[in-house]
Amino acid sequence: MSWELFAVFLGSSVRLAAPLLLAGIGEMVSERAGVLNMSIEGMMLTSAFAAAVGAWATGNPLIGLLIAIIAVQPVALLQAVLSNSLRANQIVSGIGINILVLGATTLAYREIFGARSRAEIPGLAKVKPPLIGDIPLIGSAVFEQVWLLYAGVALIVVTALALRYTSIGLAIHAAGAEPKAVDKSGLSVTRVRYACVLFAGFMASLAGAFLSIGDIHTFTEGMTRGAGYLAIASVIFGKWRIGGTALACLLFGAATALQFQLPALGVGVPNALLIMLPYLLALLAVGGLVGRQMAPATLGEPYRR
Amino acid sequence: MTTVNQQSGIGASARFSLRPTLLVPVLAVAFAAAVGLMLIAMIGVSVPNAVSAFVDGTIGSPYSLAASINRSAVFALVGFGFVLANRANLTNVGGEGQIAVGGIAATAVALYGHVSGLPLGLSFMLPTLAAVIAGALWGGLAAVLKVKSGTNEVISTLLLSFIGVWLLYWSVQSTALLRKPMTSSATLPESLEIPDETKLPLLTGDYSFPVHLGLPLTLVLAVVVWLILSRTILGVRLRAVGLNPVAANRAGISYAKTVMFALLSAGALGGLAGALMLLGEQYTLKDGFSSGYGFDGLVAGLLSRGSIPGVIAASLLFGFMRSGGINMEMVAAVPTALVVVIQGLIVITLAGATLFIEKWERR
Repeated sequence: MSWELFAVFLGSSVRLAAPLLLAGIGEMVSERAGVLNMSIEGMMLTSAFAAAVGAWATGNPLIGLLIAIIAVQPVALLQAVLSNSLRANQIVSGIGINILVLGATTLAYREIFGARSRAEIPGLAKVKPPLIGDIPLIGSAVFEQVWLLYAGVALIVVTALALRYTSIGLAIHAAGAEPKAVDKSGLSVTRVRYACVLFAGFMASLAGAFLSIGDIHTFTEGMTRGAGYLAIASVIFGKWRIGGTALACLLFGAATALQFQLPALGVGVPNALLIMLPYLLALLAVGGLVGRQMAPATLGEPYRR
Repeated sequence: MTTVNQQSGIGASARFSLRPTLLVPVLAVAFAAAVGLMLIAMIGVSVPNAVSAFVDGTIGSPYSLAASINRSAVFALVGFGFVLANRANLTNVGGEGQIAVGGIAATAVALYGHVSGLPLGLSFMLPTLAAVIAGALWGGLAAVLKVKSGTNEVISTLLLSFIGVWLLYWSVQSTALLRKPMTSSATLPESLEIPDETKLPLLTGDYSFPVHLGLPLTLVLAVVVWLILSRTILGVRLRAVGLNPVAANRAGISYAKTVMFALLSAGALGGLAGALMLLGEQYTLKDGFSSGYGFDGLVAGLLSRGSIPGVIAASLLFGFMRSGGINMEMVAAVPTALVVVIQGLIVITLAGATLFIEKWERR
C-alpha cells in the first residue's frame, strides 16, 4: 500500500468513525447515568432526515443542522419519559422508537421527495486545520474533514473534562452507580438521567446530520443501517470510558473503510465480508474482549425512590 | 444490564386478571390504527379507498387470505421463540438474522443436498431441519456469549442479525455460494429455484389458495411451546432463572443450561420461520427476503405479554396488516412504511403502559 492510499484510508476511517464517535460519546454519558438508549439508532435517523430536509428546503446546511438538533430532542424526550418516568423496559421502548422513526422518516421522505428521488442536498463545508493540515502526504487526505467533526471533537474534549473534574460529572457517575446516594444528597436522579438522555439525543443529532449533510449529501431510507447499534457496541467495547469508546469507534470506522480500500488495492476479499466486518468486530468486542464488571451498576434499571 | 424485562411473571397471573393485560394491547392497537388513518388522510389519500385496498389485500381473495395466513405463521414462530426465551428473562431480538440463516441453510440443502429424490417427504423435511439447526446455532452463539462472558443478549442477537443479513447478501452475490450460474450480466443476484419436491406441500394442493404445511406445523408448535412453558419442568426452570438466577442456582437449576435451551430454541424457531418462507412461498433465495419479518415476530412476542394465544392473535394482526399494507401501496399509493409507523406506536405504547399494568395487577 502506497503512502497516498494509506492516507486516504486513514482519512476515510476518520470520516466513517465520526458519526459513531459523536453518537457513542453521547450514549456513553447516558449509560454512565444508568440509562441505555437503544433508540440512538432512531435518533440518528431522525436527525439525518431532518438535516437533509432542512438543508434541501432552505439551501443552507447550517439551518439543516439546527433543524436536526431541534427535531431529535422530542425523540430523546420520549425515550427519557419512557425509561425514567414510566419505568418502561429500556430495550423494548428503544426498539419501538427505532421502528417508529424508520417508518415515519420513510413515509415522510416518500411524501416530500417521491419514491426514488436523488435530490442534491447542500452539505456542510470541509475545513483543513492549519499546521496538521499542511503535513505533506497525509495532511489534506487525513485532516481535511467536515467542520462538524472538529466541533464534535472539541465537544467530546469538553465532555471528558466535565465528566472528570466537575460536580456534574460526579453526579452523572453516581446516578448510574449509586442512585440512592444521589437521591440522599438532595439531587434528583430522575433529573440527572433526563438531562443525560437529552444530551445523548443532542450528540446523536450531530451524528445523524453528519451522515446526511456531512458525509454523502443525500438521505436514503433507513440510512443509519445499524450505526446506532455500533455506537452502543463501541461504548461497551470502550468500557464506558471516553478514550476507549473513541478508539472503538475508530476501529469500526477503519473496518468500514476497508470495504472501499481493499477492492481498490485489488485484494479479492468478498464485499459482503467487508461490510460485515464492523459488526463482527463489535460482536467479538462485546463477546469476549471486555469484561462485564465495568458496566455502570444500575444500567438499564429505572430508578424508584 | 441485568433488568431486561419484568414480564416473566405476568403470564401466570394473566389467567386470574385478564382485564388490563387484554385491554391495554387492544387500546394500543386501536390508538395506533387511529393515528394510521389520520396519516392516510394527511398524505391526501382517500381514507375509504385506502381502507378498502387494505381489506382487499387481507381477505379480498383466497390468494391474499392464504398469503396473510402464511405470513402470520412466520411471525408466530418468531414470537413463540421470543416468549420462550423471555420466560428466562432473555430478550431475543435476533429473529431477523435467524430467519436469514434459516433461509440460507434451507436453500443450500434443497438445491445442493441431493434431497429431491428422497421418499416420505424427506425432500422437504431435510432442508427444513437444516434451517432449524442453522437458526439454533445462531441463537446458540448468543447463548454461549451470555454464559461465558455475560454479554447482553440484546446486543449480541442484534449484531448477529446484521451478520446474518449480510451473510444472506453474500450467499446470493457469490456464484461460489448460492447465486445461480451467471449466463449474462443481467443474471439477478438470487439462487436457482428450489426443486418442486423440496417445496412445502400446499394444504389444498391448489395454487389459488396456497396455505402450506407451515400452518398446521405452527399450530402444533404453539401447543408444544405452551405445554413446555406451563406444564413441564423446563418451563419451571425457565421461569426460575428468569425471576432470580441466583436462587434458581441454589435450587439446583443450571443457569447455563437454561439459557442455552432458551436461546437455542428461540433460534431454532426463527430458523424454521426462514424455512417456511423459503420452502413454502418464495422458492428462490433473494437478498432481503427476511426484511422486517424478524422484527414483526419480535413485536408479536412483545405484544403477547408472555402468552401463546397472545402471540397467535398478534401474529394474525400483523400478518394481515402487512398484507393489507402491501396492497394499500399498490392500489391506493399509501407507502407500506405506514404499517411500520403503526407497529412502532404499538410497541412504544405498550412499553409505556407496563407501569400501569403492573400497578393494576398489584391491587
